[in-house]
Amino acid sequence: MVSKTEEEQVNRLEGQVENGGGGEWEYLCLVRKLKLRRSFNVLKYGLSILNNPKKRSALGSEEWTLYEQVAIAAMDCQRLDLAKDFIKILAEKFPESKRVGRLEALLLEAMDLWEEAEKAYSSLLEDNELDPVIHKRRVAMAKAQGNISGAIEWLNKYLEIFMADHDAWRELAEIYVSLQMYKQAAFCYEELILSQPTIPLYHLAYADVLYTLGGLENLHMAKKYYASTTDLTGGKNTRALFGICLCTSAIEQLTKGRNKDDKENSQLASLSATALEKDYKQRAPNKVSLLASTLRSLKLSS
Amino acid sequence: MGGESRYEIHQDAYIKLVLHAVKHRTSSVNGVLLGRSSADGDSVEIVDSVPLFHSQIGLLPPLEIALIMIEEYYAEKGLSIAGYFHANERYDDFELATVAKNTGDHITRYFPQAALLLLDNKKLEALPKGKDRRPVMQLYIKDASRSWKLVGSEGGNQLSIKEPSGNIVLLDYLASEKWKDIVDFDDHLDDISKDWLNSELFQ
Repeated sequence: MVSKTEEEQVNRLEGQVENGGGGEWEYLCLVRKLKLRRSFNVLKYGLSILNNPKKRSALGSEEWTLYEQVAIAAMDCQRLDLAKDFIKILAEKFPESKRVGRLEALLLEAMDLWEEAEKAYSSLLEDNELDPVIHKRRVAMAKAQGNISGAIEWLNKYLEIFMADHDAWRELAEIYVSLQMYKQAAFCYEELILSQPTIPLYHLAYADVLYTLGGLENLHMAKKYYASTTDLTGGKNTRALFGICLCTSAIEQLTKGRNKDDKENSQLASLSATALEKDYKQRAPNKVSLLASTLRSLKLSS
Repeated sequence: MGGESRYEIHQDAYIKLVLHAVKHRTSSVNGVLLGRSSADGDSVEIVDSVPLFHSQIGLLPPLEIALIMIEEYYAEKGLSIAGYFHANERYDDFELATVAKNTGDHITRYFPQAALLLLDNKKLEALPKGKDRRPVMQLYIKDASRSWKLVGSEGGNQLSIKEPSGNIVLLDYLASEKWKDIVDFDDHLDDISKDWLNSELFQ
């Protein structure tokens, strides 16, 4: 998971490279560190370094890490010819390497040779049963073949062993959402909030799922979590502010004003509405009237 | 409803949807179609489109806000939400996602001839090699039995691009990586200064 500043940093570097200002190596390192998937650029910039003997030798031992990174990017861009070349170079440098073995299996995946890839991974697992990367590739392979229930099964197995892998919980939640299994998705976000209660993204996602599930109790909970998101983000999260307005409107519709907490209910909503209006005036002035009519249709203009 | 209609999509609306899918090629994406039906009810003109989301499709809150805003904006132009576009995550997945059907159902309540468009990756891939003028999308409409049926290219129901140069312009944009500039509703919610109308896109 990447923060806004980190993403801006990467984009800035990207712009710098595209404009001829250099910085390819910094970009590649940052992308690797943040585990981003920017395969076009990784391939492009990586090749510019690898194909230049001077630049390549300047890397020293990092050269091999770069080969690995670019090989994976090449596979993602369906440049299997390049990937094969790089993997060959790595295999010659590091014979019997498990890390290279994983790349070879990945290449099999890229060629849609699923059975062979599965065999390769299984044999790699024999020596190292608890390799998280291989377990995750199993999930990815199931997903790639359209076997979503298989992916869920593998992912749940993975999480039984690696229950602190937050990205895996998020992946599982997203798979559940894609299948409209909202209760299960909610459970995943609950786990995430329990282990990392100060990350607003989880509160927001949980609230979105609760709202989608619907029903008065879930709407009240969703509102709470939109509120906590707002709290954790200093009121700057547009989605959470909208969420508060949506919940208030939906709750009002369901209870038809029978609820005695009405005043407090609407106070939070009008605060959110005001915050949204202020933000739109500043950053999206041509959409201010659209916002106003949206809030009006939710019966919430301040 | 019932009977056969022709569906015509304006070039810009068509291109926006494909560019959006290409920008986020590792996830599903969706969008809404804006249009109107002809006076005689024989054809539907899809005049514009708004790319919606590229993550967590199926969650209601962002969708509800988007639909309210979009409807509001286009009502002034005499256009209604006339359909939905979906592109699946995987290259060879031609199944119409449940979320697509559900959203389509919702839209048909207000616009009975609503069109459901699904990106056809195989056609998109083949585009540079041939001279196909037909859109790289599958068209689904609701039949008498209230279920979504794929429309074949024969018969009255078909989808065409209004401008014959549609695919040529699309190929041009793909070559120049124009998709980098497209903004969807997800982008807007993350940064409201981003314009989901993409009013500057084709300038």
